[in-house]
Amino acid sequence: MTTVLRTPRAWPAILLPRGVADPLDLDEARKGGAFEGLRRALLDLGGPGTISAVAASGLRGRGGAGFPTAEKWRAAATAATADVVAPGFGSGHGTMARRYVVANGYGADPSSRTDRTLMERNPYAVLEGALIAATAIGAGDAIVAVRAEATEAIAALETAIARMVDANLAGSDILGSGVNVELSVRPVQGAYMLGEETVLLKAIEGKRGQPEQRPPQPATHGLFGQPTVVQNVQTLAAVPWILANGPVAFAAIGSKASPGTILVSVRAPGGAGVAEVPVGTPLREIVALAGKSRSDGLKAILVGGPAGGILPEELADTAYEFEALRAVGAHVGSGSVVAADKRACVVDLARLLTRFCADEACGKTIPCRIGLRRVSEIGDRIATGLPKPTDGQLLADLSADIVGSALCDHERLATLPFASGMRYFRSELDEHILRSSCPAGVCRPIAVAAGGAH
Amino acid sequence: MSRLPGLGIAMGMALTLKKFFEPKATIRYPEVRLDVPPKFRGRLQLLYDEYGTLKCETCFQCAQACPIECIDMGGIDTKGRYHIHWGAPETYGERRDESALRRSGRPVPDQAYAHFDPIHPVKLEAILERFDFDPSRMLEILDATQAEYGHLPVAALKLISQRTGAWYAMIYGTASYYRHLRFEPPAAEPLAAATATARAGRETAFLAGLDASLAGSSRRRGRASAASRS
Ligand SMILES: Cc1cc2nc3c(=O)[nH]c(=O)nc-3n(C[C@H](O)[C@H](O)[C@H](O)COP(=O)(O)O)c2cc1C
Ligand code: SF4
Ligand code: FES
Repeated sequence: MTTVLRTPRAWPAILLPRGVADPLDLDEARKGGAFEGLRRALLDLGGPGTISAVAASGLRGRGGAGFPTAEKWRAAATAATADVVAPGFGSGHGTMARRYVVANGYGADPSSRTDRTLMERNPYAVLEGALIAATAIGAGDAIVAVRAEATEAIAALETAIARMVDANLAGSDILGSGVNVELSVRPVQGAYMLGEETVLLKAIEGKRGQPEQRPPQPATHGLFGQPTVVQNVQTLAAVPWILANGPVAFAAIGSKASPGTILVSVRAPGGAGVAEVPVGTPLREIVALAGKSRSDGLKAILVGGPAGGILPEELADTAYEFEALRAVGAHVGSGSVVAADKRACVVDLARLLTRFCADEACGKTIPCRIGLRRVSEIGDRIATGLPKPTDGQLLADLSADIVGSALCDHERLATLPFASGMRYFRSELDEHILRSSCPAGVCRPIAVAAGGAH
Repeated sequence: MSRLPGLGIAMGMALTLKKFFEPKATIRYPEVRLDVPPKFRGRLQLLYDEYGTLKCETCFQCAQACPIECIDMGGIDTKGRYHIHWGAPETYGERRDESALRRSGRPVPDQAYAHFDPIHPVKLEAILERFDFDPSRMLEILDATQAEYGHLPVAALKLISQRTGAWYAMIYGTASYYRHLRFEPPAAEPLAAATATARAGRETAFLAGLDASLAGSSRRRGRASAASRS
């Protein structure tokens, strides 16, 4: 199991409550307030009331993009269900007109353990959130999609569902309200891209995992062409708390534009683990949670996973928040925050990240399949001492073209490591391109500048 | 036998002479370019073989391969099922029943079309039964099939196609996308060990690379991976 990092006591613990001995103990969880939100949604608020409460809380998606949750729900609740099934596999047998909730617990980024930790340590919150979303939009199915390798999370969710069904908290006629929602866990595996929502839906439909052009959004044309709410598991896990404690209490936490708490997966020279932080916490404080580092000073912070931005030490006071990060050329992404000290070379790091992103591209569109490969090759040239003098410009132009013609967010974001590297570490890049030397002494076989680390 | 000796040759030479002075039809692309409307993309056309049968098998591989879905198919396929096309008239090839089964004979290097070994279908039938022959549960069916047979034999894919009504091309396209699914038995697979690690290890390799990069030790990583490749 992943280490959960200790945070200051003053910080709220919504997603990972402190001091829970057995996360699967249903009675204990109910004593702690679980399923109070579901009861309210079903018996007091009703669909529109629930959506209004979520809207008032200001909750935004934790899957990376920070889209307002209530807006998605509203779109799915009002969209008409389709009575024809999208062409392709012909008409599946089990596909009548209906709505779906899909909890995205795939956790695509291998360096981030946030969602997996949440599902292991607080499965009831995720499932309760999914049920609330389903009742709010009138969905009959809530599917939690989990990576097949996350066996502990799958086991926790399955046990939790069985106990909930026994306690009449899921299945038919939930809590005597007459509402039926089928809860299920769906293990998926086999590609990084499955984290992207349209790809995840394809996988659940049993198809090749390639993204779809948007609009139409999944909220109106999602799983089997039906209105579907796809939500990150953290987003869903916050919903029960909002309904139980009131949207005002939630809006008071974190930053004004995006309230609440969020899970981060920190990896620093001093240590690593998952922590729950209020949205808007400065990056420096998040890195400090991992513990004191022995080595010399912070050089860069990689925010957002393999397709994240590399920020310099001067920007360490940036708030961990959707808009603030986007403004400086990074993004919340997978919730991973990686601190690099003086030993790391930015070109080497960006090259590794871009290479991973290019390898994982689904191959559907040309900017994605070929453009990212070329970015990665330029990175290789720069790092191995064979750059062309124009490579800096080429990298910038190519990245702009990829961003401009991309189909899905993966390719847009995959240009970030080099884009942010060029923006903040231009002199280090130029050192590679113009003088064929690596200031950190990492890249090979180019000459190492005097005073390098080795 | 021609009527006059040498007439054939004379006629041939006359044609040569005539063509010699005619204006040339070759366009020296890319120096010279024809003036085509900006949206011109050519027109899809299905070809006939020397017996006058359509060469198209309605395998949908081309429609599947096209990333922007501009190719489409319609008509009756080799399994006698009718597919409606949903694209604009220029974008589909209508395949009719007179061009029936021509699947035999021609060797095609693709695994999916090469001669394939039979399987014992009883277990597969049970799997299909378990998933209600539902094509929308294809991934689960494929996962279960691989668990049962060790890999995805072509015969199994064909049977799945037949029973669920899903196009073979769809199933093949799905199965070839996911990294954990494989078409060859693990032992017979060339470089089995290497591909298995590549399949499972892309993420592990990324994490190891990240650690190395953060510790400034990519020099050693470079050497190690070069060694493991050779
Ligand atoms: C390449 C890529 C990978 C993604 N991986 C994940 C993931 O692992 N988990 C996740 O919840 N969202 C992931 N997303 C975001 C989803 O597409 C989607 O925006 C999200 O699940 C919506 O939920 P939210 O509104 O609660 O954030 C990914 C997006 C992209 C482009
Ligand atoms: S990929 Fe598809 S759209 Fe592009 S040229 Fe080929 S057939 Fe046409
Ligand atoms: S990853 Fe291929 S289109 Fe985005």
